[in-house]
Amino acid sequence: MTNHWNDIANADVIMAIGSNPAENHPAAFGHITAAKDKGARLISVDPRFTRTSARADIYCPLRSGTDIAFVNGMIKYVMDDINANPRNYNMVYITEYTNAPYLINPGYKGPGELNGLFSGYDPGKKSYDKATWQYQLDDKGIPKKDKTLKDPDCVFQVMKKHYARYTPEAVSRITGCPVDTFLLAIQTFAASGATGKAGTILYAMGTTQHTYGTQNVRSYAILQLLLGNIGIAGGGINAMRGESNVQGSTDHCLLYHILPGYLGVTQNTDTTLAKYLERLTPTTKDPNSANWWQNYPKYIVSLLKAWYGNAATKDNDFAFHFLPKIQAGQNYSHIALFEAMDAGVIKGLMVWGQNPAVGGPDANLERRAMGRLDWMVVADIWHTETANFWHRPGVDPATIKTEVFLLPAVVSYEKEGSVTNSGRWMQWRWKGANPPAQARDDLWMQDQITRRLKALYAAEGGPGAEIIGSLVWNYGDEHPDVHAVAREINGYDLATGKLMGSFANLKADGTTSSGNWLYCASYTEDGNMAARRDTTPDMFNVGLYPRWGWSWPLNRRIIYNRASVDLDGQPWDKEHPVIKWNPAKGESGGWDGDVPDGGWPPINVNPQTTRWPFIMKAEGHARLFGSGLVDGPLTEHYEPWEAPVPNAMSGQQNNPVIKVWRPEEQGTPDKYPIVCSTYRVCEHWQGGQMTRNMPWVIEAQPEPFVEMSEELAAEKGIANGERVIVESARGRIEVVAVVTMRFKPFQMNGRRVHQVGIPWHWGYTGLSTGPSANELTPHVGDANTMIPEYKAFLVDVKKV
Amino acid sequence: MTHHEVEKYRTPVRVLHWIHAGSFVILFLTGLVLFIPGLAFLAEDSWTRLIHRIFAAIFVVAPVIYIILNPKSMARGLKLAFSWGKDDMGWLKAAPGYYFQGYEEGMPPQDSMNTGQKMWWLMVIVFGVIFVITGAIMWFAKTAAPPAVLQWMVFIHDISFIATGTMFFLHIYLGVFHPLMTESWNAMASGKISKEYAKAHHARWYAEISKDKE
Amino acid sequence: MAEKAILFDATKCTACRGCQVACKQWNGNDEYIPTEPNGVKASNRGSYENPPDLSPSTWLKIRFTEVESGGRVRWLFTRQACMHCTDAACVRVCPNGSLYHNGLGFVEYNKDTCTGCGYCVDACPFQVPRSTRSLLTGIAKMDKCTLCTTQGLNRLDDGMEPACVKTCPPGALQFGNRDEMVAAGRERVGTLKTMGWSGANLYGENELNGLHVMYVLDDYPAVYGLPAAPRVEGVTRAWKNVIQPLGWAVGGLTIIGLGMNWLVARTNAKKEAK
Repeated sequence: MTNHWNDIANADVIMAIGSNPAENHPAAFGHITAAKDKGARLISVDPRFTRTSARADIYCPLRSGTDIAFVNGMIKYVMDDINANPRNYNMVYITEYTNAPYLINPGYKGPGELNGLFSGYDPGKKSYDKATWQYQLDDKGIPKKDKTLKDPDCVFQVMKKHYARYTPEAVSRITGCPVDTFLLAIQTFAASGATGKAGTILYAMGTTQHTYGTQNVRSYAILQLLLGNIGIAGGGINAMRGESNVQGSTDHCLLYHILPGYLGVTQNTDTTLAKYLERLTPTTKDPNSANWWQNYPKYIVSLLKAWYGNAATKDNDFAFHFLPKIQAGQNYSHIALFEAMDAGVIKGLMVWGQNPAVGGPDANLERRAMGRLDWMVVADIWHTETANFWHRPGVDPATIKTEVFLLPAVVSYEKEGSVTNSGRWMQWRWKGANPPAQARDDLWMQDQITRRLKALYAAEGGPGAEIIGSLVWNYGDEHPDVHAVAREINGYDLATGKLMGSFANLKADGTTSSGNWLYCASYTEDGNMAARRDTTPDMFNVGLYPRWGWSWPLNRRIIYNRASVDLDGQPWDKEHPVIKWNPAKGESGGWDGDVPDGGWPPINVNPQTTRWPFIMKAEGHARLFGSGLVDGPLTEHYEPWEAPVPNAMSGQQNNPVIKVWRPEEQGTPDKYPIVCSTYRVCEHWQGGQMTRNMPWVIEAQPEPFVEMSEELAAEKGIANGERVIVESARGRIEVVAVVTMRFKPFQMNGRRVHQVGIPWHWGYTGLSTGPSANELTPHVGDANTMIPEYKAFLVDVKKV
Repeated sequence: MTHHEVEKYRTPVRVLHWIHAGSFVILFLTGLVLFIPGLAFLAEDSWTRLIHRIFAAIFVVAPVIYIILNPKSMARGLKLAFSWGKDDMGWLKAAPGYYFQGYEEGMPPQDSMNTGQKMWWLMVIVFGVIFVITGAIMWFAKTAAPPAVLQWMVFIHDISFIATGTMFFLHIYLGVFHPLMTESWNAMASGKISKEYAKAHHARWYAEISKDKE
Repeated sequence: MAEKAILFDATKCTACRGCQVACKQWNGNDEYIPTEPNGVKASNRGSYENPPDLSPSTWLKIRFTEVESGGRVRWLFTRQACMHCTDAACVRVCPNGSLYHNGLGFVEYNKDTCTGCGYCVDACPFQVPRSTRSLLTGIAKMDKCTLCTTQGLNRLDDGMEPACVKTCPPGALQFGNRDEMVAAGRERVGTLKTMGWSGANLYGENELNGLHVMYVLDDYPAVYGLPAAPRVEGVTRAWKNVIQPLGWAVGGLTIIGLGMNWLVARTNAKKEAK
């Protein structure tokens, strides 16, 4: 989240797209209710009428997987309206805080000209050469700008051309959303573009779990930047995380391509620290750009010092060579890992609080792949489908050679530690009860594994002996001290032995350590910041609660908050100021309110020492047009890998750069004409380990079901409550039919397209069992992140 | 039987009477506990409801068995219940004087059942059927029937309870305690009454049975 | 003590059913405890709504209603639980006072003294009290929402709000002094009316002389499956107001009459004997 949960209450209009907060974030929905109490409007965009839609002022149906078309249409509307009614928008924000005036390489061509492709596509490699996506530079090496936004090469004009194709009629043809409903939604949301108004976008897995999921998020970012909604209270694009600590685990390198604090993972071409830094440290010639990532060397060196201590010296590149390195260009995400298991490349697997046998895409494939492992360790609080995969229904255990270990873990209430919520708030949790029997917490398990590995390497040696032996690992002899871990994450001034107070003081010379620069300042000489429970409101009373817990970075509650003020440092929204320049503060003025994105003065106060507001971008301006992603600098509609219709925008059916492992598993609309989406229900939790062992919750939502429209049920002769078969190119399951008026067939281009949906929480283990919806989902993922496509694929539905 | 006596009720009739009366008493008492808040504690574990059901079954089954075994007798009894004549009107007129003061003048000769007994017999038939129908609905259609119907069943069942309950007192009183009804008890206990009593109280019936003998 | 009330705002409910689960959890109402390792008795019947109905171990449930008008689909969520009426039919029909109003205005009951007659089950205009009755023996006890005042589990005595209110994430449930809840409800209804919900109403303010669970509705009660004008039926009132007194009157008069007759008749009989 750019903002945080409480901040939703500051919004004037809320768009829940790719998310269903009433269902999946029920506690957070209270913040939406609070906003609505103050008159905010809620827009729900979803293929089906959900519990969120039930509380929404406007409901927009759209076919699964067509978010980009929908939001692109909104962007077109806003750009047209900016032309017609510029006073309804914050033009200063657009010209001064975004890259709208930047000039793009004249060689750039968009999908309108290249039949769905951006310039630079190499069909052989299935990838883009991004040369034409770059800025035009002046002789100083600073990007050229046209603040009148008239130059045909400026981002604003390039975008206008690009988005002109997404007329309301085109949007309706692709998404199935009626034109008038679409227009009502965008008119309502675009009202937040007025200076002083705020609109927020709440998204979740419905956005990301597509072959163009990252571009979905990009489309929200572009829309919000045009509306001046980033950095302000009640604005932002806010990813509602599905688990209490998924934000925290991502911050600490849950994913294969990052090290803690979103530092890039090392790859085989990074033969030295210098080469690694050269590859990843962005540079700028613009003196007014903070280019915060120029601090890359400080963060990686401090991380290496935290990990390898005295073994990391200036002379040995701070033990950079200890870091494991991936093969450049190779993918090691979930899908790739299971493909590698299935191919027999990966021999061992540790599954920690995850249940891929239920939650993984193409679950039959992933269950089969686990059978090719030599060993597997599962740490969980219950027996899971993953732990039991070797005796799952229809499988002879004698045919599976994998040795499976189940480590009984403890629930959150039986251990101490911190979690970081969607709003980046790190909050300490205390232990409330002792775990049963031999159940152990994750930290204990990890500590034991590492200590025993160290002992083994010390005794027997081996290729990794030096690395493992050098690893700093001193969290106590008995149970590891979680506070010692938290302090290490925060980092030390190694000269004084004192805890660091800010990542601004981290050094690249090996005199500081920090296990995660983003969390530097979370555990200081003043104590454990995450454990704070002071509900004193912030200066402007906009729900920041700066003394409650701690928020990265540096307790900043709303990031990019330098964009929440005008060029004089005064808030756009006088009622909900986030920060405010106070000339009387200190020697030469200072900021009141939230921790600002750097303390530099506003642009008009001191044009020399000021810094552009988007400090994490090398150019200092938010990217409406951005070359960062692999699949295009602007957002373009492609159909899901399996789609019921041809792409109405271009001849390019799918995202051109996705990796497909199993083309033979692609279903076609002649055999599988119905769009299917999987999702969660309020009553169950993810892979179901916890909730499917809880009778009260099982009773409320006892078994998996397929929701379908009355029209589809009539066509198929299916009665409500009847058992039906849902079949895809990968599997078939038998579930209960829930026939409902909340699903409606989509009318697109005169065709009627049906959509159904299945909650995916079930499997063959636990008190409540049932078929897994993921037996149907495809093994394809997003071009940038490889997050699996769970949300749009093709099926057929039949009577049993 | 001595020659002074005549047989008023044959054994099957008496057996039926006592089974039915006994079950009625128990049904009455187990129903009464809901009527008297002070007695409701007896019903707390619902065992009164179990007893009520057991005796409700007996209450229904006993007359059914009697009908099967003695259809002619029951037919006669039913015929009697519905045979009303001018003597019955006469009885109603004379009854207050008779039952309070013992004035026998004006009391017309009565059949084997006098008019009062016939009225009671009629009540037993009518309310018995009502009890059975309403009770069966409450018992077997508790979840199926609409709540309003069930409430009306309770209402009717209770009205029947009040009507038959009070008349039951009268019945016992006349049969056992009334100073003039000296042999009523005998009639139902041993089945026999004296010829004098028969002549005095059931003159028409006595005349009939005497004629039959001749 | 001041009368208390729950205010349920149907326009804020998201049907997460935290209340439904919290109710069962606090009151220990297990219904569908699986009896075998892989068995659950509950099943999906083509709806999110489960369990299907109130029962002695389901005192609160959320009802899901789908309606469509003018091409607009609505999904309505209603709370189904004891309304704690002031003029409570169940209290009226309970033969032995096992159901009664407590000092806060709520309808409490003493399960120990409940005779299981089931009159309350039939009398309630909201079909709330439930008993599991053995068809054979008729043995039964009534159960319903106790507003978390069950002995040993009494949250109110401990200064807590009822479990359902405590758990409600979107703030659709409030608990407090009844007059304050009425004021809050009226204000919310006013807001809804200005938003164009002409049928908005505060259900329970005056119904049955005032309910202690009031609903803010954006539409007419019937749309939400609530009786537009709930009332205690005549036949319900008759049980304690007519039938019981009538029984006593008739029974009493009969016994007095028979006693008098006995005195008079015996005197006369003695006279004659002389």
